[in-house]
Amino acid sequence: MASPDIEVNLNNRVYTWLLATILVVCLFYGMNHVIMSMQGLPLNFDLTPVQ
Amino acid sequence: MSWPSMLLAKQRLPLLGLVVLYLCAIALITLGASTITYAATETAGVAAEVTTESVETSAGFRDRLPFPAPKLQREDYPNIGFSSRSIVWVIAQMHLFFAAFVLAVPLFVLVIEWIGVKTGDERYDDMAHECMKISMTAYSITALFGGTLAFALFLLYPQFMAYMMNVFDSQVLVYAFLFFAESGFLYIYYYSWYRWRFGNSKWVHLTLGLMLNVVGTTLLLLANAWVTFMMAPSGVDDAGVVTGGIWEIMRGPLWNPINLHRFIANIAFGGAVIGAYAAYKFLSATDQRARAHYDWMGYTANFIAVLAFLPLPFAGYWLMAEIYAYSQQMGITAMGGILAWLFIVQAVLIGTILMASNYYLWSGMSRTAGSQRYTWLIKYIAAVLVVCFLIWVTPHTLILSAAEMKQLGGSNHYLLGPLGIMPAKNIAVNLMLIFTFLSFQLFRRADKEVTVAWAGFGNALMICIYIVAIINIIFAGIYYGYFTNTVYKVGSSVMQVVSTLIVIIAGVTIDTLMFKGANKLPSQWGKVSNRSQYALFALPVAFTWLMALMGYVRSSVRSHWHVYTVMKDNSPDNFIPAIGHAGNMMTIVTVLFLLFVLFIFWIASLSDRKQARPAYLSSDNT
Repeated sequence: MASPDIEVNLNNRVYTWLLATILVVCLFYGMNHVIMSMQGLPLNFDLTPVQ
Repeated sequence: MSWPSMLLAKQRLPLLGLVVLYLCAIALITLGASTITYAATETAGVAAEVTTESVETSAGFRDRLPFPAPKLQREDYPNIGFSSRSIVWVIAQMHLFFAAFVLAVPLFVLVIEWIGVKTGDERYDDMAHECMKISMTAYSITALFGGTLAFALFLLYPQFMAYMMNVFDSQVLVYAFLFFAESGFLYIYYYSWYRWRFGNSKWVHLTLGLMLNVVGTTLLLLANAWVTFMMAPSGVDDAGVVTGGIWEIMRGPLWNPINLHRFIANIAFGGAVIGAYAAYKFLSATDQRARAHYDWMGYTANFIAVLAFLPLPFAGYWLMAEIYAYSQQMGITAMGGILAWLFIVQAVLIGTILMASNYYLWSGMSRTAGSQRYTWLIKYIAAVLVVCFLIWVTPHTLILSAAEMKQLGGSNHYLLGPLGIMPAKNIAVNLMLIFTFLSFQLFRRADKEVTVAWAGFGNALMICIYIVAIINIIFAGIYYGYFTNTVYKVGSSVMQVVSTLIVIIAGVTIDTLMFKGANKLPSQWGKVSNRSQYALFALPVAFTWLMALMGYVRSSVRSHWHVYTVMKDNSPDNFIPAIGHAGNMMTIVTVLFLLFVLFIFWIASLSDRKQARPAYLSSDNT
């Protein structure tokens, strides 16, 4: 069984990566919608074209 | 700390002040120039109205007011027994190469000099001065080719030049005045280098450098207006008669895209040529100290060239988008007709630039032991670059014989055909840029050890940005490129560009913050391999060829017009030449420029050597 210290560090690493991934995915997802909408090409929730 | 307060931090204020001053000065000069020429045009207009009656009675003078674009016949063009277009082509291209170089060098020299002041490291100051030394000879050659170009144009295309003079009016005199100012600032800036080196004098010297760049950049903007007027005229009616002020004539739809593209490209080109100079000196150096100096100089020049080169394709995208928006026919001539083949050659040249830059960065990492943490990544970066390069150079339609076409089942290969269209190429270009930036980032990190507490999160964020950006670029290219309509296909390329820019901007920002106060690992300057220096030679060769190639494409899209849709070209050369002929012309100017560059390097080295005092003079003295 891992010591409490190691457990905390592992948790930190998992949270770190999880947070970074969520932030970046949201950034790019939002950017895709904004960039396409600015050009008059709106996207659906699943990034398919509205037309 | 919020970003405005970081920007306004005390130590950054001088830099911010310089940037603001630079922008204000450019705006003032441009506005001043336009006001002067506008006033002159207005005055001429009023005078014309007043005197119209008398003018109309004066035979011969009547045709000058208003001044429509002349409709020329073949016999209106002087024939000196050699292709006029070829003569102007070579001279104009040589002038542009040198002009690009001499306008770019003072830009980064000023920044290097300023870094020297801020850090107190005199090596920066010496390097900046050495860069200017090379630029001085180039400046004279620029002026020589500029003068020759003007003579050639007035001799070979007199009616066209008369029309251009009529349109731009006194703006050309503003250009001439600025050229005087440029020369004045340049000579004072260079020759006062060691006179005003320390204390407050140094700030006077930096201001001179700033003014040199303001005038140089304004010259660039004015000259660009002539080129863009020929491609997309504004401020004139269908007959070519001037209807607006000089500002309307200058501010055509392609002016700003060309301004941005040339400004960035010049810096990349200037950095590459200085890099070749450093490589030349490195390879010919006999002592370790000189090798260390020129290794460092080559590294700095390559840093400038790569950093300026990374956003360049996006400025090119903007220019092409504006060309399509202005005239779809012009856009199709460039990218869908005979000139489209030259974009394959462009891919080869840009691929060469990226591969050479990456190779230099990988070689340069060997200067420090800290690079061992990252060397395992190099083979993967190389693999991506090679695969993307091959996709980029794949043509859509092959030139085949009937037998070959029958064997293939058509002019498109079933697998290679889809790789020949823009969605595949957009993926390839963006990935090549991202992986080049990765090499650059690893190179920058190689001699540092991070100390900040949030390094784990910073690295995780950076890795996630790389992975998600790459996935986004591939997704956008494949899904919108092949499975949706054309409008979404074109629109998604912006999404790809922004993904790449996010990687570059995030990379620079995260590293700047994360490596603040980092432990610096020792670097051994001068220990880099000789092979890496040949990569520095490859860069200006490819850059020069690329400028000759794309300059030709940009000019050729006018096809049989001197001024697009306004003034027809009826000279014997009023056609787009065969690719082979154009290739030969580009190669001639490239080789010619490189020979001149070698001459400049030799001239710059002459002042370093002193003749030993002959024995007979020594004996006379004793």
